[in-house]
Amino acid sequence: MDFLELINFYVIPGIVLGSIYALGAVGITLVFAILRYAHLAHGDLATLGAFIALAVVTGLGVSPLVALPIAIIATAAVAVGIDKVFYEHLRERPKIVTVMASLGIALMIRAVVQVVWGVDTETYSRGIVRPENYFGLRIRDREILTVIAMIALVGGLQLFLTRSKWGKAMRAMSDNPNLALLSGIDNKKVVMLTWVIVGGLCAASGVFLGLNTELKSMMGWQMLLPMFAAAILGGVGRIEGAVLGGLVVGIAEELSVLVIPSEYKAAMAFAILLFMLLVRPTGLLKGKVL
Amino acid sequence: MTALLSMDRITGGYGDADILQDVSMHVDENEIVVIVGPNGAGKSTAMKSVFGLLTIRGGRMLFDGDDITGWAPNRIVQRGICYVPQVDNIFREMSIHENLEMGGFLKKGDLSAAYDRVYTLFPDLKERRKTLAGALSGGQRQMVAMGRALMLDPKLLLLDEPTAGLSPRYMEQIFQISRDVRDTGVAILLVEQHAKQALAFADRGYVLAAGKNRHEGSGADLLADREVAEMFLGG
Repeated sequence: MDFLELINFYVIPGIVLGSIYALGAVGITLVFAILRYAHLAHGDLATLGAFIALAVVTGLGVSPLVALPIAIIATAAVAVGIDKVFYEHLRERPKIVTVMASLGIALMIRAVVQVVWGVDTETYSRGIVRPENYFGLRIRDREILTVIAMIALVGGLQLFLTRSKWGKAMRAMSDNPNLALLSGIDNKKVVMLTWVIVGGLCAASGVFLGLNTELKSMMGWQMLLPMFAAAILGGVGRIEGAVLGGLVVGIAEELSVLVIPSEYKAAMAFAILLFMLLVRPTGLLKGKVL
Repeated sequence: MTALLSMDRITGGYGDADILQDVSMHVDENEIVVIVGPNGAGKSTAMKSVFGLLTIRGGRMLFDGDDITGWAPNRIVQRGICYVPQVDNIFREMSIHENLEMGGFLKKGDLSAAYDRVYTLFPDLKERRKTLAGALSGGQRQMVAMGRALMLDPKLLLLDEPTAGLSPRYMEQIFQISRDVRDTGVAILLVEQHAKQALAFADRGYVLAAGKNRHEGSGADLLADREVAEMFLGG
């Protein structure tokens, strides 16, 4: 196998998959940093976002890209709603209670998706898309789109966190929650804002997973482990770390097929997660210790 | 003349236990008042009671004409009292400037006058405004912490052991800065472990022991008091 083949069949799909993981991992790392628990309904929120986009695509006959913003807004609203109805009441309890509750939420979301859209595999568009050839690199338009959208969304988030007053308030809350409260920062608003962003990112990762593969009711749940591996690999609380982690996990998963049977691809994320927790629990970019 | 802050026979603590018993104090405008006492005397607790951080079961807290007994901390902040905790008093992963910005979070409109005021007091911080606060030395961190608390133009600043863990040189510097802050019209109530130095620098002092008032007076008087000296100043 020559070098171009390696790039075309393993690295490029790895980067695309990694970008999808990155979108989810950034959300996971934000929840970890600001709310301080592992959010297990993350994958299923992504599933919900993907299917909301499907409803828009089939209902209005528009492209998935037009449906994306609608899915982002709808999923963000759902995430805020879930927080208000469920998680908010558990805020003062030990965090493990919320973690378990989020597992319950994951099952509920999946059940709703299965009731509304069924358990069959769906796609945004029928037919096979042939990749374009760029100097020997074979890339599909949707793959370019996925990577660009990830960079734009995460870049926008990074700008928000470093430039705007409320973005800085989110960082302050993550940095030192007591001092943030002493400074008069409104905890409830920060939490709500966090869920808007996290829900939106979930939807984006779900839509791009659906665009590059297919839509299934289990699609998000199956992404949960790699997304957590990516967040921890990058360093909890580190946005740029989550992106790096996502790309590493995605590429590692695709490359692993060269040495292990492809059914075991998903085990790569697990191996990376275990390895990082043993060797460097603060992650590559030195995040918080869990 | 009525005091800026007057604590009138405050009894209270965390949870069910009363740490403070009938503690009374007052702080006048433009005054530096220090609370000293042996370990476990309730010094920090007395200060936290001003900021609404503990359950008050008896007594009244008056500030600038308002009864602030039982107010939540964020309301007290807006009323004009800012509090610098002893530890974890900065945002480590944010720059000096961002720390100040968070301090002024509740202020509507332009912050530039507040930045100017703080940077005039702490010229060192202005030079390093883009530096992450977590990368600073102990003394500079304390300046960031005080600067953050001054952004809202408080009338009263509460400092919880501002010199803990600092070298004598920085201790002097923090005391000097506290005087400068006082001279801009901000009263200061602070808790100090270094009783001798603190009484020498403060206008007035209170000695607490076992959660009760023990002595009060001007810094010099307390330093000269034999009982105070024997009790915990080390003779």
